[in-house]
Amino acid sequence: MALFRTAEIIKASKLPPEGVKLSRMIDAVYFLPIAYLGVFATFHMHFDLLAGDWDFWIDWKDRQFWMTVTPIVEVAYPGAVMYYFWTFYRQPFGATLCITGLLVGKWITIVFAWYWWANFPMNFMMPATMVGSALILDCTLLLTRTWIITAIIGVWAFAMMFGPTNYALFGYSHQPLVVDGQLLSLADYMGFTYVRTGTPEYIRIIEVGSLRTFGGHTVWISAFFSAFISMLMFTIWWQVGHFVGQSYFWVRGKRGVRTRMNDTMIVGSDEFARRHGTPDGVAPKKLSAGAIGSTGTTFAEGKS
Amino acid sequence: MNAKNLFKLCVIGSLGMATLGLTLVFNASPAAAHGERSQEPFLRMRTAQWYDTRWNPQKTAVNDEAIMSGKIHISEDWPRAVVKPNRTFINIGSPSSVFTRLSSKVNGTPMFTSGPLELGGDYEYVIKMRGRIPGHHHIHPMLAVNGAGPIAGPGAYMTIGGNYKDFTNPVKLLVGGTVDTETVGLGAGLFWHALWGGMGFAWIAWFAIRPMFLIRARVLAQEGGDALLNDPVDRIVAYGVLVACFVLIAIAFFTTDAMYAYTIPLQAGEPKIKATHLKSDLTMKVLAADYDVPGRALRMTLQVTNSGEQPLRIGEFTTAGIRFLNKVGVANNLDPTYPAEIMAVDGLHLEDESPINPGESKEVKLDSRDSLWEVQRLMDLVHDPDQRFGGLVMSWDESGNRHINSIAGNIIPVFTRAAAS
Repeated sequence: MALFRTAEIIKASKLPPEGVKLSRMIDAVYFLPIAYLGVFATFHMHFDLLAGDWDFWIDWKDRQFWMTVTPIVEVAYPGAVMYYFWTFYRQPFGATLCITGLLVGKWITIVFAWYWWANFPMNFMMPATMVGSALILDCTLLLTRTWIITAIIGVWAFAMMFGPTNYALFGYSHQPLVVDGQLLSLADYMGFTYVRTGTPEYIRIIEVGSLRTFGGHTVWISAFFSAFISMLMFTIWWQVGHFVGQSYFWVRGKRGVRTRMNDTMIVGSDEFARRHGTPDGVAPKKLSAGAIGSTGTTFAEGKS
Repeated sequence: MNAKNLFKLCVIGSLGMATLGLTLVFNASPAAAHGERSQEPFLRMRTAQWYDTRWNPQKTAVNDEAIMSGKIHISEDWPRAVVKPNRTFINIGSPSSVFTRLSSKVNGTPMFTSGPLELGGDYEYVIKMRGRIPGHHHIHPMLAVNGAGPIAGPGAYMTIGGNYKDFTNPVKLLVGGTVDTETVGLGAGLFWHALWGGMGFAWIAWFAIRPMFLIRARVLAQEGGDALLNDPVDRIVAYGVLVACFVLIAIAFFTTDAMYAYTIPLQAGEPKIKATHLKSDLTMKVLAADYDVPGRALRMTLQVTNSGEQPLRIGEFTTAGIRFLNKVGVANNLDPTYPAEIMAVDGLHLEDESPINPGESKEVKLDSRDSLWEVQRLMDLVHDPDQRFGGLVMSWDESGNRHINSIAGNIIPVFTRAAAS
């Protein structure tokens, strides 16, 4: 017994062998150079513009703003990309693709821009990781198969797991030390010792004790707040994905009336002809009852 | 391709080759400074008045310590256009972190975070540094003012010898042990990035080994396609990945928590720095000042009164980190290591060079004249929307005691040589 349903899926696609081969070539070209590099480049830019400094510098990784801003910004792009991959292909790796793409971009920047060009040590510029959160988000979508539940449970876990995941990377930087009689965290001192001419200390947007009414539990308060805003952000960007990810074309009929066609994925097939007719008016043969696509009347329009 | 298109391509190609050729011939030299000359004169002359700046030693090696020190007077005549110095940070203007900063004190108070400075206040700063990147670097003290940006002080070249690979920056922790800021935490960070990245790529690869797009889209567009694409093995793997993620996160968190039992949040307080004030037996008031554009000179008429007990002689006028001295200034305050390119040792002229005697009040005509006004782009003062100048006038008594006055006033440009004479 085969591990996957691949053979059944290929059969149901009704593509000839050469079509199947071509589709795999399209997969390779479309996925790596276009989808992956496109996402990594644009998401990297999007993230750096909105949350860049918190991720660049170790002395910006605080309990309040870093904890709040990063998941909110990192869930936006995955929302739109997950819509696209899930709605049109039922592929549950949109979030992981975005976050790994972001990190590929970040590491390229760290090595070439920050380490080789600007001479900062890599530990000072270490980015946070949300790959674990992204996997949780993708798995939630695959298992629940509904974006609403994904937005409520998956995104909540996505944001809440940010702090614990990254404590393993940055916990050491909160060890205390004393310099010139003043208590500092190691992260503070690293931010002080590595000179940034254009980034003086007051540029940092970090906790200055403004969450004092919450009994010092700043991390969890920030994480909860971030999770709620992330849910909203995910929902908005899922709809952005819906808005920009529609595929349709316009057809002008015999009487000159323009009609919107949504069935772009089955153009040229018998199913398409059965539903919309053919230019010469010849109807295709009926498929056997029970087969996938045999009804000829209930095509999905690419909506989740 | 027709002949017309071929011709166009040839022209474009020729232009490209010409550009490349010119670039190679007129090779631009690397920038050696930090754009301090590009700041407006009113900003440089009337905000932070830098003096007594020292870079010691100017030749060091990797891991050796050096000190940059000096004084800043915060101008009483702070420009309207510049946000007041309510949150400032004493910084280093350097091409990347060629030195690490070990400590930074302003009037004896450590300045790890930013804080307010007082208009009219006088502050002495001492910045201790350690050589990190070998090379010949232009280093400035810098006052960063929140809302106004960095205000660069005078810059000098400092040379660091040795090899970067030998650099270490050990720091002693409060809970015991020493770490090197160059490498601390790097191994753990790389490990977790590799682990999570590997899991992420494996998850994508799990779906990439099967038909990804066109075939699935065609199946999904049919009734029953959704169910067919919901492969049971994917669901099993998803449950496994979900559990693995939560377990891994828990292990990572609790292990780290046990490893670092004592931690503190980022520190964001502000230093409370007490200002000192300039001391002088002279009082000075600017009666008139003009800027001789063709003559490259700032000419002032000052009303000066000596309320002390010793005669005083004016020897230096300094503004924007640029020093204009006469013989008195050279004899009393010439630091041979101060960068020659921002100092005019014969740049200060008095119409009456006699001392200002105790109890005497007189008009003093002071003329600071040098090409530095143009080279340092202070002549752009005439283009500023705020036609005022500022600076420090230094005087000495016969015992060598220095008296410093901060002056500021309106300035009138003189555009033509005929008018200037």
